[in-house]
This record gives sequence, C-alpha cells and structure tokens, in this order.
Amino acid sequence: MHEVIHFDKVSFRYPDEEKWILEELSFTIQRGERVVITGPSGCGKTTLLYLCNRLYPDNCDGILLGSVKLFGKNSSSFIPGEINHRIATVFQDPDSQFCMQTVEEELAFTLENLHVKRDEMENRIRDVLALTDLTEFRYAVIQKLSGGQKQRIATACALIMKPEVLLLDEPLSHLDPFTAKKYVEWLDELQQKCAMTIVAIEHRLDLWGDFFERSISLNKNEMAPILIKRKSSKQKNDSLVVNKLQANTYLQETSFTLKRGEVAVLAGPNGSGKSTLLKALCELIPSSGSVESKLLGYVPQSPEFLFLTKNVRDEVGFGGGDNTEELLARLQLLPIADSHPFAVSHGQKRRVAIAAMLSDGREVILMDEPTSGQDAKALSELFQLIDERAREGTTFLIVTHDMEFAYCLADSILLMNDGRLTGQFNADIVWSDDHLLMDHNLLSPKEVILREKCFA
Amino acid sequence: MKNALHRMNPSVKFLAITICMFTMAFFFDPWTPLVFWAGVLVLQFFFSEINWKRWLLFMLPFFVTSFGYFWTTLVFAEDSSGSVVWSIWNLQITETQLNHALSLSFRVLAFSSLSLLFALTTNPVTFILSLMQQLRLSPKIAYGVMVGYQFLPVLKDEFVQIGQAHRLRGAGGEKNTLQRLLGVRRILIPMLAGAVRKAERAAFAMEARGFTGERRSSYFRVISMGKLDIALVSLFLFLLVLSCTHIWWLG
Repeated sequence: MHEVIHFDKVSFRYPDEEKWILEELSFTIQRGERVVITGPSGCGKTTLLYLCNRLYPDNCDGILLGSVKLFGKNSSSFIPGEINHRIATVFQDPDSQFCMQTVEEELAFTLENLHVKRDEMENRIRDVLALTDLTEFRYAVIQKLSGGQKQRIATACALIMKPEVLLLDEPLSHLDPFTAKKYVEWLDELQQKCAMTIVAIEHRLDLWGDFFERSISLNKNEMAPILIKRKSSKQKNDSLVVNKLQANTYLQETSFTLKRGEVAVLAGPNGSGKSTLLKALCELIPSSGSVESKLLGYVPQSPEFLFLTKNVRDEVGFGGGDNTEELLARLQLLPIADSHPFAVSHGQKRRVAIAAMLSDGREVILMDEPTSGQDAKALSELFQLIDERAREGTTFLIVTHDMEFAYCLADSILLMNDGRLTGQFNADIVWSDDHLLMDHNLLSPKEVILREKCFA
Repeated sequence: MKNALHRMNPSVKFLAITICMFTMAFFFDPWTPLVFWAGVLVLQFFFSEINWKRWLLFMLPFFVTSFGYFWTTLVFAEDSSGSVVWSIWNLQITETQLNHALSLSFRVLAFSSLSLLFALTTNPVTFILSLMQQLRLSPKIAYGVMVGYQFLPVLKDEFVQIGQAHRLRGAGGEKNTLQRLLGVRRILIPMLAGAVRKAERAAFAMEARGFTGERRSSYFRVISMGKLDIALVSLFLFLLVLSCTHIWWLG
C-alpha cells in the first residue's frame, strides 16, 4: 500500500451555497512525496486540505460526492480523532493554533489526546524537541515567541504524534522572507530524517525553492496576472516631511522625506518597529518630533478595524468630505455602495478604507502589511489600486514582507532594524545589495536574481 | 507553610469555600460574619503570600458597598421595634435596626474577602485542570475555557488597535461617559467578528491534534490531593464552627 491520499472524482459544496467549490477532482499522493497544491484564494485549497484531515465534511455539514480514500480506506470509516494523528496539520495563523500556555504543556496536550501513558510522555516530548532543535524553548510561553518560532512549535506539535503525512496550510504567509526561508530549510532536514509525506497548500512558491517534487494546480482556467514593474509617478514637491520623530518606548529618532506621488516600502525583520513607526506618524501613540502634513491616512492589516457605519457610501463620506460620489466612482465602489462594509470581500474592504481616507482629504496613506495572506489575483488588484492613486498624486508608505510586490511597486525603500530607521534607499540599489538585504532579513526578488544570472 | 493556600488543591479549596458560604447564608446576626471575616484574614495572613496592597485595592469597592448597606438599612429600616440605642439629628436607631445593618455589611465583607482569598491564591489554569481531574469537568468545557484564557491578551491588543483606528477616523473623541460607553459598541462589533473567526480556527487546530472531547486516560500535569488539603479544610471548617457557635463562647 503506497497510496496515502487518493481522491476520485470528488465534488464538494457548502450546504448553503449553490456553487460547487471542488468539482470532479481526482489525484493521488504516494508515500514519501512532497506535493504542493496551488491556486488563487477561494479556489478550494483549504477545503481540499480539510477533506484530507477529515475536518470536513463533518464540521460544516458540506455535501461530498465521489470517494476520498486515506491509506487505502474510505475516509468516513475512521472514527473521530483516529485519522488526525496519522495525518497531522500545521495551520496558517501562528496566533490561533495553541491552547496552552507553554510549549511543554502544548506538546503534552497533544499526547493526552492520543491517550499516551504518562511515563512515556516525558520521553516523547524530549525526543521531538531534540529532533526539531527546539529544546531551548521547552518552558517558553508560546504567546511571547515570534511568528517563525510559533510555526516551528506548531510543526513540533504535529510531529510528536508521529504522523505519516504532514499537511501544511500556507505556513509562511505571516513570516518575513528570511525567517520563511529558514523554516523551509529546517523542514527539508526534518522530512529527510522522518521520511514522511508532506502536502502543502501555498499560492506563492518563490520562497520554497525546489522543496516540492510535484504540484497540483486548482486553477480554474484562470491565469494569475503577472505584476509588471510600474513607472515612477514621483513629483517634485514634498508631501511628507518627518523630522526627528521618536516614540517613547521603542522607536528611535527617525527623519525622512517623501515626495508627492511617491510609493515607498517600509521593510525589515518581524518586530523591528515598522508598525510602531506608522502609528507614531499618524499620532496614534505618543511621540516627539515633527511630522509635516497633518493629514495622514492609515489602513491597518485588517481594514474592517476602521469601519464605523452601516454602508459603504456612509463609510466613505463619514469624515464629511463633499466628493463622496466621485470617489465611489473612481475607486469602482458604486456597485457595492449600499452593502454593509463588513460584508464585502477583503480587497473591497481595503478599497473602501482607502476611499474613506482620500475623502477625508488625507493625501499620504500608510498601509500596514496589506500583502500578507493575499494570492496573486488580490495582489494584482492591490497593485493597481496603489498605482492609480499614486498617479493621481497620493503618497504611499507600505509595510510589506513581499519583496516581489515591493520590487514592482516601490520608488524607494525604507529599511528598519531594532527600532531604528537604517536608511532611505533608492529601490534599485537595495535589490542588488546583498549585504543590506541580509541585515534586514530580506531576500532579493526573483526578477533581480534572474537578471543577474543572465549577466553572469 | 507560608504558601499553603497557594499549594492547596484548587477544587478542594473551591468546595471548602462554597460550603462556608452556604452555611454563612443561614446566620442573620452580626457577630457570625464578623468572627468569620476576621478568621479569613488570619488564615490569609498566615498561609498565603498575597500582595496586601492589591488585596486592599480589590476590597475597596466592597468596603464602599458594605458601608452603603449599613447606612441604607439604618435609614430605611421597616422593623423599628426595640429600644433606641443611638440617635443622630432626628433619626432614632433601634437595636434591631442596628443589628440588621451590621449583619448585612459584615456579610458583604465576609463573602467578598472569602472570594478574594480564592481568586488571589489560585492559578486559573491549575484550577481548570483540577476541576477536570478531581470534579470530572468535561474536557470540552475545560479546554474551551483554557483557549479563551489564552486569547484574552490578543483581544486586549485588538481592542486598543480598533480604538486607535477609530480615533484616526475622527470617531471616539466623545467627552461624556454615556457617549463613550455607546462608542464601545462600535469597537466590539469588529472584535466579535474577528473572535468568531479565531474561535473556529482554534477549534480546527485542536481537532487536528486529535482532540475529541472524550475523557483522557492520563494527564501530564497531575493535580494531586494530600495531607495539606485535609489540614486546610479542617482549618476552614474549624473557623466555620467557631463563628457559628460564637453565642456559647462569646456569651
């Protein structure tokens, strides 16, 4: 028996939706393979994964046609909990997959679920920590660890069950590029030690290198749009002048200037103070120093944090701007003008947030990680949104880990490390300076690497 | 010995305290709760390492409530029979009235300090584990509470962030308290939306780790019972009997 997962003409839909989210899907995964499932968001990747570890169809009363065979047996013939320790899962969000305080307790929770005897627990905890090189974190409080560390702990929690298959649900989407790459290398080593099957879903493969042997694409005949490097729309006059800005706790003295229509990217390792800088700029946290241009707009990672009213039109006009209708038309929001701002898609929420900021007359917009967890289509939509606004004269400062995106978009790059702005650079200089990139946990984008290869 | 109350089995402590409270509820004279209250303080002084400043801070509202009870019962008492023991301005206070008032306010103090004794000496995670191991609480509920407990700091961060975002939009600058309270509703809606998503994710993560909600056959962290628990329960009961029988030894 070498087939671990076998789908035969599987169709699936949610009970309250007409549309089939998976249609007549067939594939087989062999023991020991490394397979990646790709596709844009909303194409059913996550659904597919949940069918593999039997979270679905039971948890959503979904309708399933065709046959899902796990280890040669029909998936519905396993009793609850039985399949989960043979097929273990690591989820996307590092913050909501733990239920105990410390690493040791979390590992023990998993063992208790499997009814492991108490005398055996100590050994298994010690072994898995040694295997994953995490022994130093044994007594650490999980919530205080970084995103990359949390993903490793989550993987260790999966491995302690001694699974035959490891499922990964976009495990890199919340990590900075360098941390993500380290995670992939670490996982590569683990897979060779444990000889398990790895099935991952991922919409961006750049960071994985040649980790996977095979990919299954769920693209529904839809080519992902390719981002093309934009032309700068930088104008002559200054729109944001920051002088010796300093926030009480972490942020050290910062000065920089952005021109009208400039798109700047703020990058650096997790926890280097990027979000703090944005908040200090729009005076959400106490700070000293001067920021010229009082009207700064801010779009947090979850744009719905900004919403105050019951429909999109009111939301855009909330600040009392008199050009609401014009903005709705310009940002293509007219079709959803009467919808509740919580009920529209994520991309549209961001559009509404930006429209509201522009309507308030805020000409500089700060965005906090708009790219995390977005697929190629959403990214291209975001790219277009920013590009159009910049050409109209809006200035952008964007925090992102996505270097491909930054490469296509940015006029200049601001780099941060340890609460300090290390400098404002012309974008093209940053991409070819490996030293600078290494210092800030960044990796140069694919296009630059390709180009360098051509020259060499 | 100083940390005995902290080391006591939380379920046993919980039961002992519940018994004390139920018994105290049947005594309506002022002396029983007073003696009991004093006893709780003595216990807490000798067998716990709590921060007394913090204790005082938490007790403050109860002191106020207790005084409020005292005063309102004096002024608005129905039963004004008995001899007059005290008169202020034109208010005549009889013995029955005074007894009622004192009994009520001491009761508030006794109950609140007993609850605080439990809250300040018990680790919530240990308490849940102990409820599951000693009192057979369903693991589904126990781990549900535990996950909620882990989410508290995350929710707090979110609350602050949403508040900041709203201030940027020019909302949330209300000066009077009522308006500010109504404004909190606007922060709670996005928070709830996020919390539902998080709860689902956490539930999936637990299930993917093989959690089915059935009883566990062995525990990694065993919360045990021992001689210490017997000793402390005896102390609690002794205190209870002492305060309930004060009539005989106080005369």
